[in-house]
Amino acid sequence: MVSLVVIFALSLYVAIAVLDQISIQIGPYSPIFGGAVTGLIMGDLKTGLIVGATLQLMTLGVATYGGATVPDFLTGSIMGTAYAIIAGKGAEYGIGLAVPIGLLLTQLDILARMANMFFQHRADRFAAQGNYKGVERQNVWGMIPWILSRVIPVVVGLVFGQTVVNAINQFIPQWFMSGLKAAGMILPAMGIAILMRYLPLKSFWPFFIIGFTFMAYFSKSITILGVALIGLAMAGLYMMFAEKGNAQPAPAAAPTPAPTPGAPVAHEDLYADEEVEIND
Amino acid sequence: MTKLDKRDISKVYWRNIFGLQWGWNYERMQGLGYSWVMMPVLKKLYKDKPEEMKKALQTHLGYFNTSQPMSHLIIGADIGIEEQTGMQDEEAIVGLKTGLMGPLAGVGDTLFLAIYRTIVFSISAYMALSGSAVGLLLPIVGGILLLWLRRWFTTVGYVQGAKLATEFATQMKLLTNAASILGLTVVGALIPSVITYTLDLKYKMGKVTLNAQDMLNQILPGLLPLAIVLLSYWLLGKKSMNSTKLIFVLIALGMVLGNLSGIFGWLGGLF
Repeated sequence: MVSLVVIFALSLYVAIAVLDQISIQIGPYSPIFGGAVTGLIMGDLKTGLIVGATLQLMTLGVATYGGATVPDFLTGSIMGTAYAIIAGKGAEYGIGLAVPIGLLLTQLDILARMANMFFQHRADRFAAQGNYKGVERQNVWGMIPWILSRVIPVVVGLVFGQTVVNAINQFIPQWFMSGLKAAGMILPAMGIAILMRYLPLKSFWPFFIIGFTFMAYFSKSITILGVALIGLAMAGLYMMFAEKGNAQPAPAAAPTPAPTPGAPVAHEDLYADEEVEIND
Repeated sequence: MTKLDKRDISKVYWRNIFGLQWGWNYERMQGLGYSWVMMPVLKKLYKDKPEEMKKALQTHLGYFNTSQPMSHLIIGADIGIEEQTGMQDEEAIVGLKTGLMGPLAGVGDTLFLAIYRTIVFSISAYMALSGSAVGLLLPIVGGILLLWLRRWFTTVGYVQGAKLATEFATQMKLLTNAASILGLTVVGALIPSVITYTLDLKYKMGKVTLNAQDMLNQILPGLLPLAIVLLSYWLLGKKSMNSTKLIFVLIALGMVLGNLSGIFGWLGGLF
């Protein structure tokens, strides 16, 4: 049984984190914070960091583009870290649990987003009466479904924690656990693949290869930050050449003002392959 | 005509930072939040005009959805227009909101969700994997810089008003392309560094031990991670595939890869 203080602290944290997720996104909403804070509260920061960081890397590309629902890896990382610490079986065990938990909790996220339609309709009624204070209140109440959809699973999961963990240990065979472990190691591929779909890979693929090659061959001497700086330099070069390219046709086009230089159209084309639907 | 001052813009800015999505719902998405964010300005502009207030409330409760950082440009422009003409040009306001929310969502999601998030959080996760929590400060520092940028967006939107629609969008595209280059470079680098799976297969023949992973490394380091990413990329291009289904595919693949030595051992036992 997890102590009441821990349950209270984690509930408070997840409430703050979900509000962060739908507003400023400064950090607490991310799986890496979820793991680290849970680890800190439960006295095993290192396990929390590893669970959180692995989930973070796995979900890099999984963002709520256009308000789509995505698996709740925030709550997943909290529960995964908590169970790993309770069972004392290390970070991989937690990662393996966090993924299915996050997937399962997708349903609660959907429920919360549906529940807020109730407040939207109340706001419509107040608007028809010109009652702006009534409209205002509805948006504030909209926080409640968001908070409940995260706090309830955390409380339930922690109260029944030991029972759940014991049940898992009894029923799950060894091959399944080592399979989950390998799955945890390859799942970041998903986040990366979504990003590749989302970014204009077809227009700018050479830069992707440069980044990969630097890291693949020089991983002992270069860090991600180093590669990011190379990328920044290449982006800067692109800006220089693109601006130069745009400036040149301008004088030629001056006598006939009607057709503007084709630059915006060209940029439009670069976006053509970005039309990717990411359904969650 | 009622004039707005700096404090009104600040109020809208802070409301936008915190509450645009509190009331997010499937029907109007950020509509409920939009009206809440605009409220300090609406209260001031339509204080003695109940009919215009009603109209404004109903307009702003309508469907709206865009990238949060970018919403500041739209809301800023909306304030600028309503300060000049009130609710007279209702259609112009709805047109501005809906016309800008789509393109700016694309730009904003690429810049702030795909690229910014990838770079900042991958660096901090990378540091965390080696046991250091210092990297957690990075998103917070970045987040504070973003707050400043979003404040600037609000002002630009307010000052430029409707002009913003055309001019700002072309500049943004060049910037987005440059940011995409940076993003794709980092994405490429992430593959060999975050996918840590290695083959645990050894083949013994007398004194010689063949290590499958070493052989792969001689072809191309990071070959296996690259192959798994390209497979995922290809699968995501399929109509029937989405990221949730892909998770199950990768878990199934993990089940096989995690038990390779067992599987080969079992196969070997058959002969």
